[in-house]
Amino acid sequence: MSTRHILLGLLAGGPSHGYDLKRRHDERFPQARPLAYGQVYTTLQRLVRDGLAEVDGTDSAGGPERTRYRSTDEGARELAKWAGEITPPAPFVTNEIFAKVVCAILASTEPADYLRAQRAAHMERMRQLTAVKTATGTDLATVLSADYALSHLDADLRWMNTTAARLTTLTAEVDAA
Amino acid sequence: MKGSVTAPVTEDLRLAWLLMRGSDRREWWRVMLTAVGAALATGFGLAALGIGAVRGHVHFPYLNGLLDEPGIRPGVVVALLLLLVPVLGFLGQCARIGAVHRDRRLASLRLVGATALHVRRIAALEAGLACLLGSALAAAVAVPLVLHLWDRPPLLLWAGFALVTLAVPVVAALVSVVALRRVVASPLGWVRRVRPERDRSAWLTLGAPTLLVFAAAVLVLVWGTQASSTAFPLAVFGAVLLTAVGSVAVAGATSKITGRWLATRTENAAVLIAAERLRTDPWAAARTHAAVILVTIVGVGFLGIRQLLLHDLNGPGPGHNYSAEDMAFYTTGINLTGAAVLVALTITLSGLAVGAAESLATRRRGLAAQAAAGVPQAVLGRALLLETALPLAPAMLLAGLGGTAVYLAYGLLVGVPLPLLPLLFPAAVYVSCLLAAATALPLLRRVIRPGELRYT
Amino acid sequence: MSNEVPLLAARALTKAHGRTQALRGATVELRAGEILAVTGTSGSGKSTLLHCLAGIVRPDEGSVVYDGRRLDQLPEKQLSELRRTEFGVVFQFGQLIPELTAIDNVALPLMLAGVRRTEAHKRADEWLERFGVRGQEELRPGEMSGGQAQRVSMARALVTGPKVVFADEPTGALDSLASEQVMTALVHTVRETGTTVLLITHDHQVAAYADREARLLDGVVRQDSVDLEVAQ
Repeated sequence: MSTRHILLGLLAGGPSHGYDLKRRHDERFPQARPLAYGQVYTTLQRLVRDGLAEVDGTDSAGGPERTRYRSTDEGARELAKWAGEITPPAPFVTNEIFAKVVCAILASTEPADYLRAQRAAHMERMRQLTAVKTATGTDLATVLSADYALSHLDADLRWMNTTAARLTTLTAEVDAA
Repeated sequence: MKGSVTAPVTEDLRLAWLLMRGSDRREWWRVMLTAVGAALATGFGLAALGIGAVRGHVHFPYLNGLLDEPGIRPGVVVALLLLLVPVLGFLGQCARIGAVHRDRRLASLRLVGATALHVRRIAALEAGLACLLGSALAAAVAVPLVLHLWDRPPLLLWAGFALVTLAVPVVAALVSVVALRRVVASPLGWVRRVRPERDRSAWLTLGAPTLLVFAAAVLVLVWGTQASSTAFPLAVFGAVLLTAVGSVAVAGATSKITGRWLATRTENAAVLIAAERLRTDPWAAARTHAAVILVTIVGVGFLGIRQLLLHDLNGPGPGHNYSAEDMAFYTTGINLTGAAVLVALTITLSGLAVGAAESLATRRRGLAAQAAAGVPQAVLGRALLLETALPLAPAMLLAGLGGTAVYLAYGLLVGVPLPLLPLLFPAAVYVSCLLAAATALPLLRRVIRPGELRYT
Repeated sequence: MSNEVPLLAARALTKAHGRTQALRGATVELRAGEILAVTGTSGSGKSTLLHCLAGIVRPDEGSVVYDGRRLDQLPEKQLSELRRTEFGVVFQFGQLIPELTAIDNVALPLMLAGVRRTEAHKRADEWLERFGVRGQEELRPGEMSGGQAQRVSMARALVTGPKVVFADEPTGALDSLASEQVMTALVHTVRETGTTVLLITHDHQVAAYADREARLLDGVVRQDSVDLEVAQ
C-alpha cells in the first residue's frame, strides 16, 4: 500500500495540512489501519523532496502554526499513473495460516486444533465487521471496506475448511518429504 | 449435424424407451391411464362403426331387438360418438400427469443439442405408443366379438376398424406435438410460471369444428338425401366437437370470472387460494369441467325425455295400448341411453379425480412448505375441493337450464305435464364431482409430508 | 454462557432418512432474542435439525423442548398451530403460493388466524414496507426477482409476530448483493421485534449476521459421530 500516492490523492482535492490529511484519510478509508501523524509528516517531506508536492503556505487560525501542502503538476501525473496501474494479483502467496499448519505437522503437534481456533477467531471478526456494516446509518464507504475484509475472511475460512478435511493427506505428504 | 436431423425413427424410439424406463412412477401412471382412455375411445369408435355398418332390417338377438330397426341405429351411433367427449376430457387430464417433469426432460434434451423436430418426434412416439397399446387392446376385444355376432361382415368394415384403431394413436401423437410447441421452442423450458395466454388457441380449436360442421351441412345440401348417410356421422362428430369446445370455453370463462370475483372479495383463506388458482389458470380444469357440463346437459335432457316417454307409454287413453314386446323395445332403448349417460358420467368423474390428484402431485413441494409454515391441512384440502366446487356451481346451473330446455322443447311438442325430478340431476352430478375430487385428499396427506421439503 | 433457560433446546437428536443417518446425537440451544447460525457442509443434517427444532418432523430419539413443552411429543394438530402462531419459516424457495399476489401471500397467515382481510392487508403492507418491497404488492412470486420473493417470504414469516423464525438457506438462491439486502432487512427487523432466529446456512458471510454459530460436522469427515460445536 503506497501512503505516498494516497496522500497525493487526498491533496488532489485541494491544499491541506498534515493533521487534516490524517483525519481525512481515516474518514475516507474506514476500518483501515489509521495513519500515524509522524508517517504523514515524513511522507509529505519526501513528496516535496521529489517535487511531487510543494508548500502552499501556513495556517495559524487560533492554534499552532501548520504548513499547508499542495500537489504539483508532476504529482498529479504520478497519481494518475499509479491509479491506472494494475495491482499485481497476488504475486506471492503469503499465507501465515498455511505456514502454521505445516509447522505444526513438522513439530508433531495437532494442526486441527489450531485450525478450529483460527476458524472461530475468523468468524468472530466477521461477526464484528457485519455488525459494523449493518448498524443503522452506516455510510457506503464503511460498508464497502467491511465487505472487502469479509470477502477475504470468507476466502480464508473456506480454505481452512477444505484444508481441515484434507489434513491426513497433508500430514502424510509433509512427513514423507 | 445433418445426421441427427435424419436420425432413424428407431433411434428415437429407443431413446423414448430409455427415457420412459428411467422416469418416475407418475409417468407410468400417465401411460397406463392414457392407454385406458385410448382403449375407451377406440372401443366406442369401433362400436359406432360396427353398428353403423349394418344395413337394412336384421335380427339381432340382444337388447330386445333395439338394433334391428334401421331407424334406431343412427341414434345409437350418435350416442356412441357422444361418449367420445368425456373420453377426450379424460385423456386431456391424463396428459397432464407428470407433465412438468416431462416438459423439463424434453427441454433438457433440447439443451444437449436435440433439434426441435427430434424432441417432437420423441414426445409424439411416447404419446402415440401409449395410445396404440390401448387401441390395440380395444381392437383385440372388438374383432372376435364382431366375428361372433356377424357371419360375414363386409370387407369395408375391417378397413374401417383398422383406420379407427390407427387413427386414435396418430391423433394423440399429433395433439401431443401441438401441446409441446412451447417447450420445444426453448431449451430452458418453463421454470417460471407465466400466465397462460390460451385465448387465441381456444378460438382456433373452436374454429376448426365449426368449419367441419359447415362442411357437413354443405355435403348434406349438395349430395342430397342419399349421401346423407356419410355426411350425418360427420356432422354429428363436428357438432360434438363444437359442443365440447364450447363447453371448454364456458367452463374456462366461468373459472376465470368466479376466480376474479371471489379473489377480491373473500375473507376465507381456502377460498382465496382456490379463487386465485382459478384466476391464474382457468383452463386447467376446463377440459374435465366441460365434459361434466356436457354430461349434465345430456343427463337432464335424457331424464326429462325418459319421464315424458314413460308417462306417454304407461298413460291411459286411446292409442296408448302397446304390446309387451313394444314396451320392452322402448324401455330397452331408454335404459341403454341411461347406461350411456352413466358411463359418460363415470369417465368424466375419473378424469376429475385424476385432475385433482395431478394438481396435488405437481405442487407437492410448495404444499409441503405451506404445511411446514403451519397452514392447516384442512385449509389446503378445502382449497382443493373449492377449486372443483367454485367454477362448477354456475356451470351446473347453466347445464341444468340447458338440459331442461331440451326436454321442455320435447314436452311442449307432445303436450304432457312436465316432470321436475330431472332438475335434481345437476345437484347429484355436483355432489359426485366433489366426491371425485375428494378422492385426492388422502394423497394430500402424503404430499405434505416434510420429506417433500428435502430438495432432491 | 448465561444460566437462563433456553427458549428452544434440542438434546441428543437422532434422525435417519431411510439408510442415511442425518443426525447422530445433535444438541443445540437457542436463547431468547438471539440469532443462531447453524453451519456445515451440504448433507451434514442442517435442514433436518431445523425441521426437528421447528416441529416439522419428529426426531427418532432425543428431545426438543420449546418454552417448557416437548415438541417431539406434541400431536400434529398442536404442532401445526404452534408453527402457525409462534414460529415463522423461511425456506430457500417454495413457501410462497405462486397464484397469490405478494400482499395476499403475506396476509394469508393472518387470515388463517381469523383477521379480516382488509385489516390483514393493512398489516401485511406494513411488513412489506419494512422489508423494502412496497410497490410490489400486486406481483405474483413468478413475477418477482429472487431477492424480492425472499423478502416477501420473510414478511410472511414475521407478520404474525412469531417468537422464533426458522430460516433454511434463505439466501441460497441469491447473489451476494441481494443476499446482503435480504439479511440486513431480516436482522434489522428481528432486532426491533426481539424475535429469536435459527439461521441455517453454508455461507460464512451469511452466518456472520448471527450472534453465535453452531457447526454441524458431517459424519463422513469425522469417523466417530456428528458433533455440534459452539464457536465462541
